[in-house]
Amino acid sequence: MARGGGNRSRLLLVILLVTSLFFITLDLRGSGATKSSRSLTQTILAPIQKGVADIFSPVGRFFSDIKNFPGEKNKVAALESENAKLKNQALINKDVAGQLKQLKGVLDLAGRGGYQTVSARVIGHGSASAFSQTITIDAGSADHITVDKTVISEHGLVGVVKSVEAHSAIVLLMSDPAFKVGVRIARNQSIGVLTGTGGNSFSLQLLDPAGDIQNGDVLFSNGSDSNRPFIPGVPVGVVTSVDHTSATLTQTATVKSYSDLGNIGVVSVVISAPSTAPKQAINPTPAPTVIVYVTPTPTPSPSLTPGAPTPSPAPSLSSSPTKKAKK
Amino acid sequence: MSPIRIGINAALLLFIFTIQETVISRIHLPITGFSLYLAALVLMVILENRTGAVILGFVGGLVLDLSPSSQSPFGQWALILTAISYIIAVNAESVDEIISRPVGLGLFVALGASLALIAYLIMDSLLGQPTGTFRRDVIVIAGNLFWTMLIAPFLMPIFTAFREATIGSRERI
Repeated sequence: MARGGGNRSRLLLVILLVTSLFFITLDLRGSGATKSSRSLTQTILAPIQKGVADIFSPVGRFFSDIKNFPGEKNKVAALESENAKLKNQALINKDVAGQLKQLKGVLDLAGRGGYQTVSARVIGHGSASAFSQTITIDAGSADHITVDKTVISEHGLVGVVKSVEAHSAIVLLMSDPAFKVGVRIARNQSIGVLTGTGGNSFSLQLLDPAGDIQNGDVLFSNGSDSNRPFIPGVPVGVVTSVDHTSATLTQTATVKSYSDLGNIGVVSVVISAPSTAPKQAINPTPAPTVIVYVTPTPTPSPSLTPGAPTPSPAPSLSSSPTKKAKK
Repeated sequence: MSPIRIGINAALLLFIFTIQETVISRIHLPITGFSLYLAALVLMVILENRTGAVILGFVGGLVLDLSPSSQSPFGQWALILTAISYIIAVNAESVDEIISRPVGLGLFVALGASLALIAYLIMDSLLGQPTGTFRRDVIVIAGNLFWTMLIAPFLMPIFTAFREATIGSRERI
């Protein structure tokens, strides 16, 4: 092991520390050079990550598979019985699918209501040498993906697109400490902010001081202005514990995500939100008005006796919910 | 350290960085993952003198700053690893005996890598970057410490051989 250095090394240390501080200052002032160097790295790394993802995807879960091995046997048995049920269900679904195909052409079901998405494979995970929680996907600006787009998995929200290259993009996972999303509780529509904590659990803080959170409350994304970065109505997670001891003005809770962020293989980037967002879909239809008409029916009098009281017409009632009866 | 060796070492660090970003980060290890890159850099620093260690730390930091997944400002890793490399080089001189044994070496490298991570977290806090929960940070650092301690003794012969192959006769003297 080589030794020595002395004054020369100390001088060099100071020079290099000052240079590093210079780089930090440049970056914090928004210099494009530092940003472009990172995008260049991403452009170079993406094809390698893509290739490695193909080779290493079975190896990646090797250790977690070993850990879960005893439970796997029961899981297989349960899955086999579930598979048999699903096979029966699939036969029924074939009939439904046929009907759906016909309806699709008439009503364009696929186009309405659903999000327009681009699916992508996860080709890289954030480095362990940084504390940020990110994934790299194999779709980019060439696939119409732009920054600040919502990323979802089969179960719900995953994160948001942080940076985009031609054929890859980096997604900031919702577990990242820098991640914040506006959410609403499905039960009472209270609004809050969900923050990543770096792990599997998330912190929810309600905005309304009188708001109420309960265990098991389901959270949906609240949506952002022009649907960027978040579209409304995406399942986010479920409340697992409510913090009653917190000294904050509003209630806080711990939330578990619907998506298993550690084992994501495929995600979808929402390119455009549905034309009718869930928050706008609640238009109360007016109840049919019931109009009551009173028609006087004259009762014929057999004889008119002077001094006798004049008979008054007996009222008859008729009602029509929609149209007017003309008499 | 000659300019050629700086270039060769930078190329090696870039190679390890690529492995870290593409392969290591995909493996779901128990506790948490580890940084092969930090372990390798600390090992390379141990083998150098103070001047070489400082240069290597700076170059290694710049390479790590290139990470697209990093959210910290560019130059943060360079600053941290330059300072940490100097500290490691100074202290390695006084623990020559200990780091000549595999267990001692593993522990020393793991402590060096963990120190870099702690410094990174502190600097993140100073710069106002979100750092996550304390518990999570402790788990990440502990996991890194554990795995680095395990792999460092196996990596040492590789880096010693690499240094021997690249070092010039002038530096050898």
